[in-house]
Amino acid sequence: MKCNRCGTELNKGDICPGCGANVRTYRRLVSLSNVYYNDGLERAGVRDLTGATEALKQSLKLDKNNIDARNLLGLIYYETGEVVAALSEWVISKNLKAEDNVADYYMDTVRNSPSKLDDINQTIKKFNIALNYCHQDSLDLAVIQLKKVLSLNSGFIKAHLLLCLLYLKGGNWDRAKIEAQKSLKLDTGNVLAKKYLKEADSMLLPGESGKLVSDIAAADSDDVIRYNSGNEMIIQPVKKSAITRTGSIWGIVLGIVLGLAAACFLILPQRIVSINSSNQQKITQISEESDAKSAKINEYEQQIATLQTQIDTLQTQVTDYEGVDSTSAAMNSLMKAVSIYLANPSDVEGMAKALSKVDLDAIGDDVSPEFKSLYDSLMSLVGPQLATSYYNTGYEAYKSDDYETAIANLSKAYQYNSGDVNTLYYLANSYYANGDIDKAKESYDLVVNNFPNTQSAQAAQTKLAEINNSGN
Amino acid sequence: MLNFEEELKKFKPSLEIEDAEDIIYNQDLDDMSDVLVRLLKDAGQGTDNQRRTK
Repeated sequence: MKCNRCGTELNKGDICPGCGANVRTYRRLVSLSNVYYNDGLERAGVRDLTGATEALKQSLKLDKNNIDARNLLGLIYYETGEVVAALSEWVISKNLKAEDNVADYYMDTVRNSPSKLDDINQTIKKFNIALNYCHQDSLDLAVIQLKKVLSLNSGFIKAHLLLCLLYLKGGNWDRAKIEAQKSLKLDTGNVLAKKYLKEADSMLLPGESGKLVSDIAAADSDDVIRYNSGNEMIIQPVKKSAITRTGSIWGIVLGIVLGLAAACFLILPQRIVSINSSNQQKITQISEESDAKSAKINEYEQQIATLQTQIDTLQTQVTDYEGVDSTSAAMNSLMKAVSIYLANPSDVEGMAKALSKVDLDAIGDDVSPEFKSLYDSLMSLVGPQLATSYYNTGYEAYKSDDYETAIANLSKAYQYNSGDVNTLYYLANSYYANGDIDKAKESYDLVVNNFPNTQSAQAAQTKLAEINNSGN
Repeated sequence: MLNFEEELKKFKPSLEIEDAEDIIYNQDLDDMSDVLVRLLKDAGQGTDNQRRTK
């Protein structure tokens, strides 16, 4: 504790060691201030904010330096919605004790939330406007404004009380009672709230002082029997059997059963029909798509058949053209051979070369009679010479065991001159030596049949016998 | 029965934040010890004046 005059720290004595003043009275005042602070703290603990405020004010009147009392007073002001008063106390507290002061925390809490501070200011302004409306006798507007105030800050006791007063003025006793009760809930020692509550209670229905009109209407149920006996209202509870009490449980069970039945008989079939309908639509759609694809496939198959026909036709045409080409080539070769013969009848080699491409078997019946006639005429003129030329080449090849070349040349020689037995015999030998037994047998048969009584025929006979004996 | 007008007089406008500065500066912070000191001072001055008059 410090001296109130010089600020020197005091000892246990009644005289200040700094200025020599008697501090006994001062000590007594500080002690009394603390008593009031403790009283205020206790009252605040049970939410008797009005009583706490009075006690703390007394405490501060006795000792303005009682920081705890001042901070608590600020806190109570803040709780009741008087934020400016609260801030004032905390600012003063901070000025009186700059260090280690809980007021710092309170002020920081308010300052660090600008939106909340703005809300608080708006609340206060609206309350003042509402109060102004009251003075102007615009009570409805005042009620609306106060409702807004309380929606922003439900702990604003003064607004609750003013609204309560307005309800009392308007005859809304039940609402007035509610507001008074809310005020008392916030501040249990609020005298004004008690006064208004008593007024509201006294104006409510006789015998229902503890209940609202709305409560009575709600309570007017089958649970109680009401009747008047003289001046008193008797409220008697109705006796209920155990079955009636358990009726609610049976009701719930019945409700569940009915719900399930409704689901099974009403909702489920509808759902099944809906799903079936949906599936049917899907099937129809898929079927239509399938039909469309089948039609496409048929169309493509028809196109393939048409194209195949066209291919066959073209193939035939190509074959025909090939035949024409071979016939045409044979004609050209024959013309060339005739031309060579006319130019130089001794050029047997040139004619042989030209006629080598003429294959009468391949041409078949496609050639004209004129072609055949010309060919036969040429053959009668140069056939033996050509045959001799091919025979010589073929025989040389036969002797040198070149049977492939021998067969090719001797065949040509036999083609141009079929009257030479040697040509046919060596051709047969060449086939035999080359392994073509069928051709060999055929050629030997020709030798035996066409040239009987010749040595070659005898030799051919022997060869045929060998072939037959060998099992071929 | 309540008198509405009389009751309404009990409600004073709330202090707005703009007024906080004035409120803080104008607040009477004197406590009992200040009053006592002033009383003693006044009493001392009164005694001096009486002595001078005599």
